[in-house]
Amino acid sequence: MAVESYDAVVVGSGAGGAMAAWMLTRAGASVLMLEAGRDYDPAEAPMLNFTRDAPLRGVGTPDKDFGYYDATVDGGWDIPGEPYAMAEGTEFKWWRSRMLGGRTNHWARNSFRMGPYDFKPFTRDGLGVDWPVSYEEMAPWYDKTETIVGVYGNNPNLENHPNSGDGVLHDPPTPRAWELFLKAGAGKLNIPVVPARRAVLTRPVDERSPCYYASECGRGCAIGAAFQTTTSLIPQARATKKLTVRTDAMVHEVILDRAGKAAGVRFIDRKTGAQREARGRVVILAASTGETARILLNTKVAGRSEGLANSSGQLGRNLMDTVGADLSATFPALEGRPRYNEDGAMGLHMYIPFWLYKEQKAGKLNFARGYHFEVGGGFNEPGDLGGLDGYGAGLRARAQRAYGSTIGFTIRGEMIPNAKSYCEIDPVLKDRFGIPALRFHFGWTDQERAMVDHFHKTTQDIVTAMGGKLNKPPETADRALRKGGEIIHEVGTARMGADRRTSVTDPYGRCWDVDNLYIGDGAVFASKAHKNPTLTIMALAMRSADHIATRLRKGEL
Amino acid sequence: MTVAVDRRTTLAWLAAALSALPEAARGTGLEGTQWPTVTLKPVTAPGYGVDPDMSDPKVPWPLTLTAAERKAATALCDMILPADGTAPAASKLGVPAFVDEWVSAPYPNQQRDRKTIVAGLAWLDAESRRRSGKVFAASSMTQRAAICDDIAFKDRIKPGHEKPAAFFTLMRRLTLRAYFSTAEGWEQIGYLGNTPIDGPYPGPTPEALAHLDKIIAGLGLAAA
Repeated sequence: MAVESYDAVVVGSGAGGAMAAWMLTRAGASVLMLEAGRDYDPAEAPMLNFTRDAPLRGVGTPDKDFGYYDATVDGGWDIPGEPYAMAEGTEFKWWRSRMLGGRTNHWARNSFRMGPYDFKPFTRDGLGVDWPVSYEEMAPWYDKTETIVGVYGNNPNLENHPNSGDGVLHDPPTPRAWELFLKAGAGKLNIPVVPARRAVLTRPVDERSPCYYASECGRGCAIGAAFQTTTSLIPQARATKKLTVRTDAMVHEVILDRAGKAAGVRFIDRKTGAQREARGRVVILAASTGETARILLNTKVAGRSEGLANSSGQLGRNLMDTVGADLSATFPALEGRPRYNEDGAMGLHMYIPFWLYKEQKAGKLNFARGYHFEVGGGFNEPGDLGGLDGYGAGLRARAQRAYGSTIGFTIRGEMIPNAKSYCEIDPVLKDRFGIPALRFHFGWTDQERAMVDHFHKTTQDIVTAMGGKLNKPPETADRALRKGGEIIHEVGTARMGADRRTSVTDPYGRCWDVDNLYIGDGAVFASKAHKNPTLTIMALAMRSADHIATRLRKGEL
Repeated sequence: MTVAVDRRTTLAWLAAALSALPEAARGTGLEGTQWPTVTLKPVTAPGYGVDPDMSDPKVPWPLTLTAAERKAATALCDMILPADGTAPAASKLGVPAFVDEWVSAPYPNQQRDRKTIVAGLAWLDAESRRRSGKVFAASSMTQRAAICDDIAFKDRIKPGHEKPAAFFTLMRRLTLRAYFSTAEGWEQIGYLGNTPIDGPYPGPTPEALAHLDKIIAGLGLAAA
């Protein structure tokens, strides 16, 4: 087969890869997108399909971890034939999607901007490192990204929670009764409850319809309301005729020319096992934080042992995930309340942003970074009604009375990079294609544990103010903390920086060691703000792609 | 239907039933049926796979409960959620079939539950025979209720009945899940979603907002 050659080779079709391809094709560049998984048509999304028709009423199984109707196909916590290793004492979960659009097909769509403090955390508290970009530099890219993606929310002028540009945001959906109740309870403690920001349309954008307020977003959104690259960036990039997509293309290595520049990538056709190559003037890795690091670590460079683009020794290091823990409580005041359709936009309409920046700055807290609450409740489609007692008519009456009276509280907090948490190539383990597998090391520190304790105490206070009762008392922070990787916000393995001695890429995601090799996914994060990373991945990828387009135009690449 | 419960299960069940009788007769005060030991042939059927056709869901694994177990399960599901006014009984909404589907699934959680449920159904029939000479499904409603009363309330589980109570809790959880997943169950509990809305999400009804105002005032909170 003749070797294909393009202006740009983009590895990955998720948030970062699709945004890069979208930008570059609009700039007139020819782009090859390589996706390890199968082709996926968003029309496959089982919207409105009944849980009662699914095996086991749709509950998660090892075949479909997040439930029968979850959009993720050929992926999940474990992929047959594609193992990864964990160092002794490490528990790490690595969610992978093997499908066009990657994890954007099923994500929660929570889209919070990072703020000025989040880009300069070292300057603020002396921990971790600063990003080589500031919020002010990123602000226009956030506006552009939010405009294309479509994000609902508002601008409540909160510290370190930047407003969006005029007219960028879509109106947030009306709060539900239990959310207003939470706002009243938290308000007593001066804790804010404000409209959430989610990548869900409440007005049309291009060919995409606004939300019709039904069907879990995690199933995928065939109408294009809940953002995923398969209904937006990828079809739009294809429409330029400049994009070629190859699915089932498992990239495992960057090809280098004699001068040490990237010439393309090698990949394996997952269907046939055949080795293939693709060539480009520039290569953009957006295969996910883990896979991008793996490709670079697995690329052999003559005379060196540490992989490609790793002269700093930081490749694979600084692995971070979001701090996660959960509590739930039942509220007698919500029992037996009047019924109405509480599906709404399915996910958050309201949430609790971090509200203690001043106290933190004044040294009144024993943890350095922020967290937010994500909350769930209401008259959801009934599923596990566990916790009810007895049987017969009494049980039925209790089920009817208790329905919609529970609220779940979840912490999403910032992890500070630590030396214990990184990934590397396992010395022996390989996947079914013979590609050396990753080995993860992961550990939380007292920073994250103290944050979880604070979340527990705050939740207890809010629940008390609302006259409720925790369904289970909080555990110790160590037990309550979710495993590394479990929140599926892993970032940091090829961080950007201002100094090539301590970072893998420059402020544009360009590898310090290879002038035409860029990283376009969460690997470049220098810190892991508590804000969910996907929006920032897209804003960074857009900015990076703009930089690449300029260089292509100037003939620098 | 494949019968995967082998002879040893039946024997264990018989042994449990028989062993209970002399003990009760001796009047030791520890009356009751011992928790049976069941040895099950592992389920080896494949699951639905990592990329099933979501538009045409199918349960690919064969069902494994025996006819006797299915009868006991049906009677128990109908004790958990019996017919009540316009509300159908659990068995009318396919709940026992769901229990069978659940215990027959080739996944670790379901296989763990299968051990509890197959042993629990054997215990249920043995305990019923001990008390009334009849299997659970053939006993009177009063006799069935007497057994349930010993194991259905977490604060008054009859001493020594922890395993049967855990079995009951599991059966209740599965029954509630299956029952309230149906159209009739949605109506019973008042789930009004999964309905596309044209235009903005309307939010709470005036009635729901009035209720909200009342509870906020009742707790001395300021309105949001």
